[in-house]
Amino acid sequence: MTLLGLSAGYLTIFIAGFGVTLLVFARAGRLNLVECSCLSWLLGSGAVSLLIWLCGTFCSGLLLQMAVTIACLALGISGWRIKQKLGSKFALPLPTNVIEWLLTSLLLVEIILFFYVSFKHTLGWDGLLNWEIKARYAFLSGGVIPGSYYSDPGRAFSHPEYPLGIPFTELWLYLWMGEPHQFWVKTIFPLFYAAGALLLALFVTRLSTKRWPGLIVATLLAFVPFLSASPGGIIVGYVDFPMSVFYLAALGYLLCWYREDTVSNISIFAGCLALLPWIKSEGLILWVLLVFFGLCLSLPKHRTRQVTLALLPGLFIVVGWRLYLRLIHTFPPADFAHPSFSLLHHNLGRLADIGRVFSEDVSTLVYWSIFWLLAAVAIGYALSARKLEKVILAMAVLLPIVLYPLAYVFSTWPSYTAHMTSSLPRLLLHVVPAGWLAIGLALTQPKGQVR
Amino acid sequence: MPFRLYIHIGLWCALFAVFFAFGIRIAGPALVENHIGPVEVNRSIDAYILALSGIEHGSEKLPDVFGRLPKVGPLIIVVRKDNSQSEFLGMMIGYISWPREIKLIKIATPTAEKELAGINPDSISGLVFCLMDPPAWLGKPIRLGSSIFLVPSPKTG
Repeated sequence: MTLLGLSAGYLTIFIAGFGVTLLVFARAGRLNLVECSCLSWLLGSGAVSLLIWLCGTFCSGLLLQMAVTIACLALGISGWRIKQKLGSKFALPLPTNVIEWLLTSLLLVEIILFFYVSFKHTLGWDGLLNWEIKARYAFLSGGVIPGSYYSDPGRAFSHPEYPLGIPFTELWLYLWMGEPHQFWVKTIFPLFYAAGALLLALFVTRLSTKRWPGLIVATLLAFVPFLSASPGGIIVGYVDFPMSVFYLAALGYLLCWYREDTVSNISIFAGCLALLPWIKSEGLILWVLLVFFGLCLSLPKHRTRQVTLALLPGLFIVVGWRLYLRLIHTFPPADFAHPSFSLLHHNLGRLADIGRVFSEDVSTLVYWSIFWLLAAVAIGYALSARKLEKVILAMAVLLPIVLYPLAYVFSTWPSYTAHMTSSLPRLLLHVVPAGWLAIGLALTQPKGQVR
Repeated sequence: MPFRLYIHIGLWCALFAVFFAFGIRIAGPALVENHIGPVEVNRSIDAYILALSGIEHGSEKLPDVFGRLPKVGPLIIVVRKDNSQSEFLGMMIGYISWPREIKLIKIATPTAEKELAGINPDSISGLVFCLMDPPAWLGKPIRLGSSIFLVPSPKTG
C-alpha cells in the first residue's frame, strides 16, 4: 500500500507539472519529451506545495488531499486538451552517434546510482530537523502545520520561517502513503538530480547548438564531491541541490529567451524564478539577481515589460509568505541580524576572515575537487567573449559566490567563521549547475572567441 | 588547426582529467559504504537515536515514556553547550515529542546547578538531560538508553 500511495503521489505531481508545462509549450508545435518531463517534476513539485499551502488555509485532512488532487488533475487535463487542440507533437531526442550514446548511457547510470546511494543514507541533520520536520508535523495535523509550531520558541531550532516548497512536496507523498515514511520520501532528491542533469545537457545543447558538450558536463556534474558524497548534498535530503536546479532552470530559460524571444521561454523563466524563494530563504538573493539579469537582457531587446511581468509570480510568493509568517507570529530567526549601515561599519573587520574562510572552502578538494577552478576558467571565457548573454552568465555564477560570503558580515553567531564553515558550502552548491552551464558553453566557444 | 584551438582542447582535457581524478576518489567510496535500508517509516530518526543513545525504535519508545508525563507544562530539554552530539540529541527529543511544548536549555557547565535552580518543578512536565548527568538535588532520574536521563515532574503519577 505504501508503494502504491507513493506512486499515486508522484503521479499527481507529474500530472500537475505536465499540465503546466503543456499549457506553456502547447504552441511550440514540437515538444521535447525529456524537457517536458524535467519541467513536470520541477513545476509539479512547486505547484503541489503551493496548492497545499493555499488550500490548507481553508481545509485539512482528506478534503485538503482531494482538493489538491482535483487541482492537479484539472491542470493536467487543461494542458493536455490545449496541446491536442493546437496539434503539438511529442519528440524524444535520441543520441545520434556512439559518443552521444555512451555519454547518455553514463548519465542514466549515474541517475540510477543516485537513487541507490540515497537509499543507503539517512536524512542529514538539516534534512531532518529543518525540512522533513515540517512535513511530519503537517502530516500529523491533517496536512496543515499548526500555528503553534511557528511561534514555538522551543522548536525555533527547526527554522519555522523557512519556506515550504520541499517540505510540502514531502508532505504530499506522506499524505498519499498514509504514513511519514522517511525511507521512501528521499526518492525526491535523486529526481531533482535527474531533472537538473538533463536540463543542464539541454541548455548547453540549445545555447551552443552542439549536443556533446551538454552531455559531457551533465555526466561530470555527479563528480562534484559535495553534491554526491558530502553532508549537504543530494543523498541526505537537503534543499540546496533542488534550489540549484531551480536556479539553473530559471537562468537557462532566461538565456534561451534572449536568444529566441518566445513566450514559452519567458513563462518557464517566470515559473522557476517564482519558486526560488519558495525553496529556501536564500532563494530571495538569487531571485533578485535573476530579475536584475532579466532586466539587463531585456533592455537591448525592448522587452522590459515581459520581464517585469515575469517577476510578478515570485513577488506574490515572497510577499505572501512574509505576510503569512507575520500573521501567525513566527518566532523570529536569529542567525543573521537585520542589515544596517551602522552594523556593516561595525563588522567591516570581519571581511578579512570571511575572505580567508571562503578561499579555504572553495579550495577544499574533498568538497569540490577542482570544480571552482573550472568555473573560474569558464567565467574568463565568458567575459572575454564580450557578448551580453555570456557576461550575464558569468555574473550569474560570480555574483552569488561574492554575495553569499558577504552575508556573514551580519551573522549573529558567537563565531561567525564557524557559522560560515557550517553553512557556506551548501550555499555555494546553489551555483554549481549554473557553473557547469558556463563550463559547457566555454567548451564550444567559437574559434575566434578563444582568447 | 590553429594553435589557439590546440591550447583550448588541451586545457579543458587537462582540467577535466584532474577534476575527474579527484572527484572519483571521493565520490566513489559513497557507492560501497553502508547498506540499503532498513525500509522503515522512521528510518532516519531511529538511526540517529540508536547511534546517540543506544535505544532501538526510539521514535516510538521515547514518546511512550513522555506520554506518561503530565500534559501541562513544557518538557525541558537540557543539553551541553558546544557539544554537537548533545545538542543534536536534544533537538531529536524535541522532534519526537511533538505536539508537547518543549524548552531547550543549553548549559555550559557540567553540573547545571545554577541554570536549573530557577525552574519550578510544578510548572513543567519533566526534564530530559541529553549526554549529561542531572544534578543530584533533582531526585533520582530515569535512565533512557545510554545517554538520556528523564526527571519527571513531581506531579507525575
